Amino acid sequence: MEITTVTRGNGTVLSLAGRIDTVAAPMLEQAINRVMESGSRKILLDFSGVSYISSGGLRVLLASAKKLKNTGDRFGLCCLSADVLKVLKLAGFTSIFSIYPSEGEALAGW
Amino acid sequence: MVYPLIRKVDIVSSNSYLVQTPDAIVLIDPGGLPDQAAHLASIIRGIRGEKARPVIMMLTHAHVDHFLAACSDPLLADPGITLFAIQESGARSLESSDRQVTQAEMLGKEVTPMRIDLRLLEAARERAGAPVRRTFANGATVMVVQDPLESGLPHERIVVGDGPPLDIFHTPGHSPDSICIRIGGLLFIGDLLVAANPGLAGIAGWNRDALIRSITGIQELLSRGGITAVCPGHGRVLTPDDTARMLGAVQGEARLLTGVAELNRDRARETAAFAEDCMEQVNELFTVMAGRLYYVSHVMDELGETEIAAGLPEMIRGEVIDDLLDSFASFTREVHSGRHMPIALALKGGQVIGKLQRTFDQEGLAQIIDPTLVLRAERLLGDYTITFRGFSLPRDIAEHDLNALLRASLTDHTVRSSSDDDVLASADDHAAFGRLLLARIGTSPLLGDVEVTFGADSKTLTVPVDRERFLDLLTYLLEDLVGTGAKAITIHTGKDGDTTVVTISGAGCTGRPGGGIPRRFLSGLCERAGGTLDSCEAAGSRQFTIRFGTVL
Repeated sequence: MEITTVTRGNGTVLSLAGRIDTVAAPMLEQAINRVMESGSRKILLDFSGVSYISSGGLRVLLASAKKLKNTGDRFGLCCLSADVLKVLKLAGFTSIFSIYPSEGEALAGW
Repeated sequence: MVYPLIRKVDIVSSNSYLVQTPDAIVLIDPGGLPDQAAHLASIIRGIRGEKARPVIMMLTHAHVDHFLAACSDPLLADPGITLFAIQESGARSLESSDRQVTQAEMLGKEVTPMRIDLRLLEAARERAGAPVRRTFANGATVMVVQDPLESGLPHERIVVGDGPPLDIFHTPGHSPDSICIRIGGLLFIGDLLVAANPGLAGIAGWNRDALIRSITGIQELLSRGGITAVCPGHGRVLTPDDTARMLGAVQGEARLLTGVAELNRDRARETAAFAEDCMEQVNELFTVMAGRLYYVSHVMDELGETEIAAGLPEMIRGEVIDDLLDSFASFTREVHSGRHMPIALALKGGQVIGKLQRTFDQEGLAQIIDPTLVLRAERLLGDYTITFRGFSLPRDIAEHDLNALLRASLTDHTVRSSSDDDVLASADDHAAFGRLLLARIGTSPLLGDVEVTFGADSKTLTVPVDRERFLDLLTYLLEDLVGTGAKAITIHTGKDGDTTVVTISGAGCTGRPGGGIPRRFLSGLCERAGGTLDSCEAAGSRQFTIRFGTVL
């Protein structure tokens, strides 16, 4: 999986491309942790290039949401494919963090 | 002296065994890979360097994974060095390059006609009991004595010079030409132990009744004693006791295999496709189940119930499941790129599903997360196992009122499994409250936040349908709509001439279009339920149409 990190306004956008499988899930966790260590507390994951997420990937999302729950923190996902949105929705994750149709709509509120 | 070449079990190549006797070098099953043949040939050259002796190459049966290597090495193909012996029907298969019986067709291998020097257990040989002396181009002088029966099995004894006799037993079942070979305390049994396995039962030349008889004969032979080690065609060398026990299980398994479908290339391809479809759906179900559990754990943690929260993820071994699903996905890509044959994917599906069935606590999970998720996962794994074993999936088609089924299903998906009164009533019982709380967090009703409209042209609509499969299908379709963000779902039933039509549409879907609907899996499920399925999607909406005709 490829992860591209870009700062946009108040937040940091991680654009993901590929499958979030057993190999990619720890990579994603490390990338998110690095962004948090650099001081950014508003993180948006752009799922445009993601076709699949494993349970390991779900665990990383949950762990990240847990770390970003202080006042002023933001953690969101955007541009989800039908497959990935379905898994998140059925697993109940959509009530834990925000899901946006596009990057612009997400960052507009941050 | 024996040189065993034991390989990791696969469908590409068998084990090989080299046995040195004073007057011969016996090679049993050269295997299916050129490297393996080259390795064996180099050992044989070394042994012959110490004392020149003829090589006798015997096949336990003529399947490509046991013999194909013999064609690739000059030493093994040289009639001046190697005498090639196989049971007579196997000889016919090799001489005529029979692609079905040798499994070359199934495994995508090329076979060319082969020279056979010695046909074992020939039906039309000279009078039983009378020794026949034969001399071959490699200098071997062989004495062959055919007995009518030994341990209830057709038997032939071969003696080369002063060496120990080679006792050959005809043990058909896995293939018509299967033999077991006894040399002193060693018994070489070819593929007898795997003959009832899914992916092998039903292959061309397979015979259930012959297999059962052959196992009885070998068990009797083992019970007489004198055998110290049993050498199978695949897997490790075994003790006689372990072998007898395993053969008992294989025989029991074989007895259940009445009506198993023939496993040919077409069925292998269909089974592989079904494995792919099932696994796609299994992937989603297991990810959702694991996700649900993580979600419940997260909420319990937020509520300060850290101990309960920590124990929940252990109910499903997410990492093991992810690894299994990843390995199947990468193997599928290899099959699509032409690296493996479809039968290999069918077998891989069998392995992965067998392991998946051991990775989750089904009963415990069903008490916390939506039990229909767990039930569907179980049913899916079971359906693949049935198909993989060569049986047709059971269908329980009976007359049902579709409107009643739909209404009941919609209610199930809208109402919580526990009422508010249940929760209040449990407030004084800490354990009961904990259980209800977990279930309440874990089983949010699928249609809880969706506006559902149900309309029917007539009060009742009776059609022949497999109730369980129809309800499963309905849940998959509703999940698809809810999962892709549908805000409103409309279901309508009616007639179009003789056809009964159910449409299920979702509006306000937000997921990016494309993907999302594993069409082949759902179409197959719909057919097993008794209908046909069509789907279409447009910006923000998706629609499924199920049709039940008059002819099933």
